[in-house]
Amino acid sequence: MTVDLGVYLSGLRLRNPTILASGILGDKAQLLRRASESGFGAVTTKSFTYNPREGYKTPIVAEVKAGLLNAVGLANPGYKMMRKIISEARINGVPIIVSLAGSNIDEFHRMAIYADESGADAVELNLSCPHVEKMGMEIGQDPNYVARLVGDIKGSITIPLFIKIGLTDNYMEVVGRALDKGADGVTAINTIRAMAIDIYAKKPILSNIYGGLSGPAIHPIAIRITYDLYSEYRATIIGTGGVEDCKDALEFILAGATAIGIGTSISKKGLNIAKDIVRGIRKYMENEGVKKLEDLIGYVHKN
Amino acid sequence: MSIGYRDEAIGGESSYTVGILKRIYVHNRNLKSLYIELNHWLDIKPGQFLMVWIPGYEEIPISPSYSDGELIRLTVKGVGDTSKKLINMNMGDRVYVRGPYGTYFKIDDRDKYLLVGGGYGAAPLIFLAHKLVEMGLRPKYVEGVKSISEQLFIKEAESLGLEATLVTEDGSSGIRGLVTDYIVSILDNFDSVLACGPTPMLDKVLDLCRSRGINCQLSYESIVKCGIGVCGSCTLGNTGLLICFDGPVLDINTLNKWRYRGSD
Ligand SMILES: Cc1cc2nc3c(=O)[nH]c(=O)nc-3n(C[C@H](O)[C@H](O)[C@H](O)COP(=O)(O)OP(=O)(O)OC[C@H]3O[C@@H](n4cnc5c(N)ncnc54)[C@H](O)[C@@H]3O)c2cc1C
Ligand SMILES: Cc1cc2nc3c(=O)[nH]c(=O)nc-3n(C[C@H](O)[C@H](O)[C@H](O)COP(=O)(O)O)c2cc1C
Ligand code: FES
Repeated sequence: MTVDLGVYLSGLRLRNPTILASGILGDKAQLLRRASESGFGAVTTKSFTYNPREGYKTPIVAEVKAGLLNAVGLANPGYKMMRKIISEARINGVPIIVSLAGSNIDEFHRMAIYADESGADAVELNLSCPHVEKMGMEIGQDPNYVARLVGDIKGSITIPLFIKIGLTDNYMEVVGRALDKGADGVTAINTIRAMAIDIYAKKPILSNIYGGLSGPAIHPIAIRITYDLYSEYRATIIGTGGVEDCKDALEFILAGATAIGIGTSISKKGLNIAKDIVRGIRKYMENEGVKKLEDLIGYVHKN
Repeated sequence: MSIGYRDEAIGGESSYTVGILKRIYVHNRNLKSLYIELNHWLDIKPGQFLMVWIPGYEEIPISPSYSDGELIRLTVKGVGDTSKKLINMNMGDRVYVRGPYGTYFKIDDRDKYLLVGGGYGAAPLIFLAHKLVEMGLRPKYVEGVKSISEQLFIKEAESLGLEATLVTEDGSSGIRGLVTDYIVSILDNFDSVLACGPTPMLDKVLDLCRSRGINCQLSYESIVKCGIGVCGSCTLGNTGLLICFDGPVLDINTLNKWRYRGSD
């Protein structure tokens, strides 16, 4: 049986549903290229900010029992560099999603237009960085702000627009308003604000004290959010959080995700993880008699 | 899922291993070897690195110059805040390490090895020399430094029974000149070169090995921040190779595959 793992993500054709999540190896062209060559269906850049950012001092990561804490601090070369990075990273047939983190609507607006002009295949608005002030959670939790932001940008660009949300109490309302204003999809979820202390040093491990929790710990949370968003809005979703193998990926798809973001597990398994996941999904489809992966999207919602 | 190690003393898991400074050997005011006792056994192979954290300072990558699993030796040059703090610690002070991370020197017991260390890059090579001697091999050990005051492990290599050559840029001891010039004359006697040092030195060793068809494994440095292959800071030159994940020890085939042409 031949099976089709390709998916349409708001008009973008992906050869398979795996996407390199934003911020993992994503601010250098050669690493995005390597990810594409390693088998990812699409790649996301690290979030660009208006001005270049150095990022925080080390330690910027802390390994914890069920995942990873990071406070990289949105280190990136500034949005003007994206044109060069996109053109050098380009591999035929692998869309490049540009992630943006603005500190106000004007910055987001300018960067989104520049991404469109620079050849990005889609933009993702990072509304949920848990460890950089004024560039994250505060804005992502404000439905009016998000609605204005999406409405404003949607009218100025030609490529698909995704919003990336974190874990907040009002994500249903925020996403609802964004979709009303024309957002093409949702990336769910970002890391969750968290902290780790070394008991012998008797100090927080991260130089920034707080960081974002990713990995297996957040997977069931991300599944729940994906399920809710699909159930309520039939939204196009990039399910992200704690994907380590094909089972985790398939869980997202059944919950309603069209594609799957992969981040933290690259640290243990390397970029080849995309190939492993794709191989596993293919086998599952053959065993379960599923011809098109798209038929599985949101399958748990059918009765 | 497990992280770091199991803390047998009190139970539970911890991501950092605690190290206590037991002895300091002063090579010179700015270059010291720190003997550190760990509260937990770590399986470190020559070439791999540890992330070494001093709370209040940063966390930096260091390749041990010796390890028996419980006692490690770090040979450190003071270049910035954290490395200077490290070499000015007092006996009994603590450091926190995680790892080991990265690749290590791979040994084939039929080969004749030339070990070449530049500056503190000699650290993983003297550790390797100990292992090779345990395996019954007799590599040649070459150390290149600016001046005699920076000499590190020539005596230690000799005490292992190895032929050891010091090359100093200023001619203050041993052979005068650049270590990469010196090895040109002896390269053809070896099957494989194992080297660590400043990037320009390694790039030169790579050129020499490429033009003569000799194998090599080179331990490169770059800016390592996360140490676990997620942040993307540690690429080697323009390649997509990550020093913390694909390296730090890279063999000539990998470097050729990525068409590495040197970093400037
Ligand atoms: C795999 C590996 C093994 C190493 N082994 C040793 C060793 O055995 N002994 C030793 O003395 N040094 C070693 N280093 C270099 C050491 O990590 C740097 O000297 C140290 O990080 C400098 O930190 P700092 O805060 O003291 O200086 P900073 O003020 O941060 O910087 C001073 C200089 O060090 C370089 N540097 C800064 N941060 C890093 C970083 N995170 N990684 C690499 N270089 C950096 C900068 O480019 C600058 O030139 C190793 C580096 C790597 C990547
Ligand atoms: C080191 C690191 C850096 C990250 N940087 C960004 C970023 O710049 N922008 C962003 O939207 N998300 C960022 N994230 C979040 C990831 O894209 C992803 O949403 C999250 O890690 C959950 O997925 P995972 O469990 O597969 O890692 C980062 C995550 C990590 C681990
Ligand atoms: S140091 Fe972060 S990827 Fe290598």
